[in-house]
Amino acid sequence: MNFRNTWITLFILIVLVLLVPIIYFLPKENNNNDPWAYVPKRLPHTDHSSLMTETYESGQAVTKKCRECHEESAHQIMQSSHWTWESPPVQLVGRPEPVVLGKKNALNNFCIGIQSNWPACTACHAGYGWTDASYDFSIEENVDCLVCHDRSGQYVKIQGGLPAPDVDLLTAAKSVGEPTRENCGGCHFKGGGGNAVKHGDLDGSLYYPSERIDVHMGKHNFSCTDCHQSEQHQMKGRAISVSMDDENQVYCTDCHDAQLHDDERLNNHVASVACQTCHIPVAAVKEATKMHWDWSAAGQDLPEDPHEYLKIKGRFIYEKDITPDYFWYDGTAQHYIMGDKIDADKVTMINEPNGDIKNVSATIWPFKIHTAKQIYDTRYKYLLQPKTYGEGGYWTEFDWDQAIRLGSEATGLAYSGNYNFTSTAMFWPLTHMVSPTENALQCIDCHTKEGKARMNWEALGYEGDPMVVGGRKRIEL
Amino acid sequence: MRNIFIIFIMTTLSALAQTMHPTFPLLDANGDNVLHTGQPVSTMNTCGDCHDTEYISNHSYHSDVGFSQLTEPGETTSGRAWDMSPGLYGRWNPMVYRVLSPPGDEHVDLTTEGWIQIFGARHVGGGPASKDRITETVEMNCFLCHIKEPNNDARIAALRSSQFAWANTATLAGIGVVERAGPVFRYNPAAFDPDGHIKSVYLKPHDPSNDNCGQCHGLVHADRNTPLITSTCEPEYWMTETTGQIISPQRMSDSGLNLANKNDLSRSWDIHAERVLKCTDCHFSINNPIFYQESEKTRPSHLTFSPRRQTISDYLYRPSHQFARGTSSYKNLIPELQGSMRRCESCHDSKKTHDWLPYRARHMQAMTCESCHIPHMYAPARRVMDWTMITPDGEPRMECRGFDGEPKDIRTLITGYEPVLLPRQELDGSTRLSPFNMVTFWYWTCGEPKRPVRFADLQRAIVPTGDYHPDILAAFDADKDGALSRFEMSLDSDAKIEIITSRLRALGLDFLKIKGEIQPYGIHHNVTHGDWVTRDCESCHHRHSKLTRTFTLAEHPPKAELPKIVGDAAIQRSGSIFIEGGVLLFKENVRQAGLYILGHDSVLAVQIIGAASVLVVMLGIILHAGMRFLSAGKSRAERGAKKTVYMYAFYERFWHWLQAIAIIGLIFTGLIIHAPSVFGFISFPAAVIIHNVLAFILLVNAFLAVFYHFTSGEIRQFLPEPRGFFSQAVQQATYYLRGIFKGEKHPFEKNPEVKLNPLQKLTYLVILNILLPLQIITGVLIWGAQHVPDFLDEIGGLGVLVPIHSLVAWFFAAFLMMHIYLTTTGYTPLASIKAMIVGWEDIESHGAAEGHN
Repeated sequence: MNFRNTWITLFILIVLVLLVPIIYFLPKENNNNDPWAYVPKRLPHTDHSSLMTETYESGQAVTKKCRECHEESAHQIMQSSHWTWESPPVQLVGRPEPVVLGKKNALNNFCIGIQSNWPACTACHAGYGWTDASYDFSIEENVDCLVCHDRSGQYVKIQGGLPAPDVDLLTAAKSVGEPTRENCGGCHFKGGGGNAVKHGDLDGSLYYPSERIDVHMGKHNFSCTDCHQSEQHQMKGRAISVSMDDENQVYCTDCHDAQLHDDERLNNHVASVACQTCHIPVAAVKEATKMHWDWSAAGQDLPEDPHEYLKIKGRFIYEKDITPDYFWYDGTAQHYIMGDKIDADKVTMINEPNGDIKNVSATIWPFKIHTAKQIYDTRYKYLLQPKTYGEGGYWTEFDWDQAIRLGSEATGLAYSGNYNFTSTAMFWPLTHMVSPTENALQCIDCHTKEGKARMNWEALGYEGDPMVVGGRKRIEL
Repeated sequence: MRNIFIIFIMTTLSALAQTMHPTFPLLDANGDNVLHTGQPVSTMNTCGDCHDTEYISNHSYHSDVGFSQLTEPGETTSGRAWDMSPGLYGRWNPMVYRVLSPPGDEHVDLTTEGWIQIFGARHVGGGPASKDRITETVEMNCFLCHIKEPNNDARIAALRSSQFAWANTATLAGIGVVERAGPVFRYNPAAFDPDGHIKSVYLKPHDPSNDNCGQCHGLVHADRNTPLITSTCEPEYWMTETTGQIISPQRMSDSGLNLANKNDLSRSWDIHAERVLKCTDCHFSINNPIFYQESEKTRPSHLTFSPRRQTISDYLYRPSHQFARGTSSYKNLIPELQGSMRRCESCHDSKKTHDWLPYRARHMQAMTCESCHIPHMYAPARRVMDWTMITPDGEPRMECRGFDGEPKDIRTLITGYEPVLLPRQELDGSTRLSPFNMVTFWYWTCGEPKRPVRFADLQRAIVPTGDYHPDILAAFDADKDGALSRFEMSLDSDAKIEIITSRLRALGLDFLKIKGEIQPYGIHHNVTHGDWVTRDCESCHHRHSKLTRTFTLAEHPPKAELPKIVGDAAIQRSGSIFIEGGVLLFKENVRQAGLYILGHDSVLAVQIIGAASVLVVMLGIILHAGMRFLSAGKSRAERGAKKTVYMYAFYERFWHWLQAIAIIGLIFTGLIIHAPSVFGFISFPAAVIIHNVLAFILLVNAFLAVFYHFTSGEIRQFLPEPRGFFSQAVQQATYYLRGIFKGEKHPFEKNPEVKLNPLQKLTYLVILNILLPLQIITGVLIWGAQHVPDFLDEIGGLGVLVPIHSLVAWFFAAFLMMHIYLTTTGYTPLASIKAMIVGWEDIESHGAAEGHN
């Protein structure tokens, strides 16, 4: 009679014998990683309208109020490049000492540099009151909380990063929340002095993009911070226009499997081709971006058009729907550091991407290349940094000599008194404005003899089209 | 990368270095430079300087097109009395209608010269155009396929105007080499270098590109960015006209066509074009040493690769222009080349990519890859060309499939069509389902021997003045608008037929008859992959299977005999052609094609017998149970004393319930597989997998149980004692029929030594020795269809096995019901079931009768 309950064992045994093989043999769901797992799920933001009730006389007064609760935040911001506009020292190959570089001291081939032009440029600084070299970076009240957290839509910064006089600070303070596209786009879509000027993959069309312009923002309603996530106000993301290292970068593979194509042939591309290359078939999808800037033509009284010619800036070429240029790129670049010697007869590379066919960590990337003619010292053979904005600057006086003298006073870079214009090129890796899958490149975009292939295989270091002659692994690594 | 501007220079340089072909002079028929003589170019002499052009033109079906296969009229397999070869030269093509007349025919339609004028548009020259009954010849035209921008229009114009000798020269017009000057062509001296060679910037011979092939074969659109456009019912290209096949890497959503759901059509027209394959990668020259593969039949079995082959230079001197090809829709077209091509399986390893597909080998045996990988044609194609009635422009009454609205209207929505799957005859004699378009032709025949009524006679009878004869207009124009619509043109009444007949008869034609024929055109291009492929099992394994859906042959068929499939079509004749609601339809019959498709097919007799057996058992049970219920009063009184014994050991209970659940599960999943349209609780493939797993468990369990019964001696439980068995069985039966209602004791006591009564022993004898083995054997064979397909075919295939399997399944279901019912006849209704669960059973004591009976 002790065995009365053996039927339970019996039952379990039978169920196991039947179910285990069935479950084993039934087809499994594709267990690719879920790309949504990485996307942050945000709690509703605390409504600050009842917390922010005082009348604020200045931006600093708002910050002071914020700090009552968010004690660490200002300190955190002050560690970030949004505040410092420079990097920690990085040892670059071929340079004797570690380099400190950032918006603070970099040269580019758009507005050239901020030194001596502070008030205009620092309208996009995440702080208040930076108008000259003597700015004190240690005052927590000067951190601008609202520029990233305002949701009232009327918070605008002017020279020196101060709120515009007509901004209603109380309304702005009551509205605070997670950063929106507008907060980021207010500066990042307007790099280079206006909408769509600089990047080619960041412009005002991303405020309300269609799926065709950007699949993440248009179809899946991403905000910038879904990918550019932050910890303690340190934002993820790097750009070789100012960043020297490849730390804390945002990658497609943060969310997506690298080997997610159904087709093995496509997956094999991943070792040598960046996701962006196929999935960003065109840049500047909707708004034209600046491709060329000729400073040497400035100062003439010609008909003006902000997309063709301005007396203060010179001549421009804008293009939309651009086909990118493709180069090997390992995530870092050579940087032109102020004072580096140039060969004025050649094109000076401001930030030439690192990588070639033999570099295993490099992949073929799409770039927008911005070329310019900009001013340099014919005797000392380096690029110069003119003062353009403000009193005595080129934009008011149209006198290059004076503009350079004033600029050199700020940079400390000697000026011989002789200047001319030289060609420079700047590389902008394209990584935003990802197209829907259906618009990705197809084989014949790169692998064709008939018509124009996007890749110049010989220039990339191949013996010919790798589809026919074999990939780089076959050449030698 | 040092300097980005170097890139642009390198691009230009690499473009220049693309061809190795040396420059050459253009020679005339006498071998003199045409620059000096001004005579037409002779391709045979020009290219013959380096290549063996005689060998080339003699080894090219593109040139021969059936000329070397000419027979007397009516001796081909097409079934037409006027066909003289299986090729373009001699086989009547109802798409073009015009017919090459045999020598000495009474009513001449086309002489060889006439044939060249019309068919030369799709003929490369040479063959009949250089040999058969003509004065001025057309040499095989090397330029048409081997230069980048051949001027095919100028070539065709020259042929149309009978300037045969100039036709090949005309191919070079428009690229600066030669221009038309009145009746002749004049060469441009600037295009030649001082040696009289043509400069390579003007003429660079190359490997044929898809564009070259497309000139005659189908719509090729190599550019992925310029939107592809073609007209709705008048595609100008052969393969596109017959089937809607378009060779382009372009995504359909990027095309210029008004396609239904266009935004979602992110697939390319043709995956192979998308993946940068050229026509010649599959249709290669058969002696091209790069592609040459020795046949498995002649290759020694110890070699996987034989490196001995022609050198490149041998090949370039004598490149065969016979191109590898698959099996044709025309059965006897160049039989020696059929199947020489690389088919899907030559390049693709289906094992690697079809691990999700149950019964992969069986599917591959029963259908071609195209069946699933070309599930839909997105462009329109011809449906009907009805030459019994023509328009004033000389066009037949036409129907097209694949769009919704008026043809030639830009607003017409192009829906495409689903190809019909027909059993294609393979070279090895087997048949596999493969996608086709079926085009139906109607035409008048006359005379003895039969000929199609000549086009000129049709025009004279129907549109004598360039417009319809008034009698015809009066009879045909139903809406009196002065014109004939496509519907009005159909000869759908005796009156209409009579008018045309009488007008043809007036021309002296006799034996007038309307003939209809159906030409199936195989579809092998426009392959797709991934999500665009038919993957859903139930699209075939379902009562409403796509395999047997009706396929519209004609919406307005003329009133004539039903058309027949052309005699030399390489398909097995199965299915039926019939008219329903005025529409001519085709419906495939897969059983005739030798297939039995689970979930789609069933045998009615099996269903009736099976269902009847279950029904009879059910009725019996209801009747019996009802009577037991009514007589319930008596039974308890006479019941013997209760005693509880350990009836079933743990293992016995285990194997019983395992078997029970497996069998129920098998019946259940079997029902789903058999009729997914009725029992689709779980998906078809899941049901198949569960069915197989359960069957395997059942098999192992049965084997172990047999082992247990033999080793433990329990097998004696199942063995009837020969002596007195019959009378004992009768005794037991009598009990069930009478005694049980009177509350009598069971005639034989159930106890651990004797658990089964004589009737049970008999039943299990039948089940365990006949039904179960039969079910296991048929089941294993059905499962084994993927491993031993040939053996299966020998014993009748699924068409025999599956009906047996399902009949036995019915019997099992009937047994199961009876079995469960009879368990309630124990001491108490639930005593036996409880015993099978816990092992202990309450039984009635028979006193003295205890023990062996």
